[in-house]
Amino acid sequence: MVIDTRVCVGCSACVYACKSENRVPEGFCRDWVVQETGGSFPTLNMENRSERCQHCDNAPCVTYCPTGASHYDEFGTVQINRSRCTGCKACMAACPYDARYVHPEGFIDKCTLCRHRLEKGLETACVSICPTRSLNLVDFNNMTSDIRALAGGKEVYRQKEHAGTEPRLVWISARNKPGA
Amino acid sequence: MTESAHEIISTKINPGVVPHLHIWEWHIPLYLFLGGIAGGLLLITSAMIVMKRHFGFGPKDQGDGCPCLAVRIGSVLSPALLGIGMLFLFLDLAHKLYVWAFYTTIQPTSPMSAGSWILIAFFPLAVLQAMVVNRKYIEKFDIALVNKLIVWADDHLVKVALLNAHIGVGLGIYTGILLSFFSARPLWSSSILGMLFLMSGISSAAALLLLLAPKDERHLYSRIDANAIWVELVIVGLFVLGGITGPANSHGAMMHLIAGDHLMAGMPYMYWFWGVFVFAGLIVPLLVEVLENAGVHLHLPPVAPVLVLAGGLVLRFLIVFAGQTWHTFM
Repeated sequence: MVIDTRVCVGCSACVYACKSENRVPEGFCRDWVVQETGGSFPTLNMENRSERCQHCDNAPCVTYCPTGASHYDEFGTVQINRSRCTGCKACMAACPYDARYVHPEGFIDKCTLCRHRLEKGLETACVSICPTRSLNLVDFNNMTSDIRALAGGKEVYRQKEHAGTEPRLVWISARNKPGA
Repeated sequence: MTESAHEIISTKINPGVVPHLHIWEWHIPLYLFLGGIAGGLLLITSAMIVMKRHFGFGPKDQGDGCPCLAVRIGSVLSPALLGIGMLFLFLDLAHKLYVWAFYTTIQPTSPMSAGSWILIAFFPLAVLQAMVVNRKYIEKFDIALVNKLIVWADDHLVKVALLNAHIGVGLGIYTGILLSFFSARPLWSSSILGMLFLMSGISSAAALLLLLAPKDERHLYSRIDANAIWVELVIVGLFVLGGITGPANSHGAMMHLIAGDHLMAGMPYMYWFWGVFVFAGLIVPLLVEVLENAGVHLHLPPVAPVLVLAGGLVLRFLIVFAGQTWHTFM
């Protein structure tokens, strides 16, 4: 996923689309919005961004899961098999992004990247509802020219890359805004 | 000129994750404590059996190759305490009905998967050893198969005990490295945590044996305890040193533990760590036991072993809690 923070207005539509589409229980969320402000007046800068499980290529939650419940699927995303999850919470301790939570029914839950929608050739709920097209679903092995143009020549970053998890979420920094 | 600002506001609301990780409460520290004692008991009792059987050394002959009463008791307590610890582990699972999933796979990269198998592997030989050193009680039941098993194990007791000593060390180290593997939690991400929990398990096990042993056997367990505490103190020093001299993540996490004002049961971590664990749980009992071993009898109630056990318990609670209340790897 490539997330263009230049156009994110922090509306939380992605959060509520996800909650509705995935029946996320009240008081929990699979994705969330962060507003980061830095600098000194009058040159303050602000970045809004949508965050979720990073579907790492080297996901510690998969590495440490004692039952194989956390696993990679055929799309390369990280999924949880609820019928093998013991709720031991090792994956939660292992995740440097704190992307998981204990579902009230006992299993561990997190963003599935709307796998059920991907299988039907649809976009994820968050991507499809984003009113500013900040969220972009990307196959990094087969990048389209649109995505190359979107990210090309701009300051992009991944979170906690030094953790060695090879996260698959890329943010286009708000510092790319004119005047930032 | 205005001050530079850096503020992050998040809509993440998940309980147990925000404001800090809060996934493991009292069950896990208790399990780690009992697991450590079980490993320590198995190591000490196995070593005592080997010393008696192979070298003829031991405080007294109890028959059946058992060097003393404390070994008889400790051999039984070791698997029993681990069983209770595993019960706490089970109670901590959020999806309890799926506990079987641990035992339908081996995940080679998961320390918890290895641990779940180690816990099961622990029991057969530990129970067998407990049966051999307590054979005079078990043979009263006159169960042919059990008696045959005891006779076989008795013939191979030195080998069984040697193997058990290694399993005991493995279990003790495992209770520490279970946490060490979580590189996302800077306080836990220290390889010496395994040695710290192993030595704490040995000192706690020796303290428990000291409490339970008859008077004429206590001097031996007091010496084992004093030596274990001394080594543990050195490892605590190395653990702290490794943290404070480490990169920002490790340094911050260690300072959170040793100088932090976060409260556990109403008292800051700093006081728990230095006052309760290091001073009351290690230094005071070490001094008492060194004096006792030097022939200076203080005529105190068994305060030293109780303090060691309390210190071992506090150590597990502190490490598990402080590892969660410090922020995730940055």
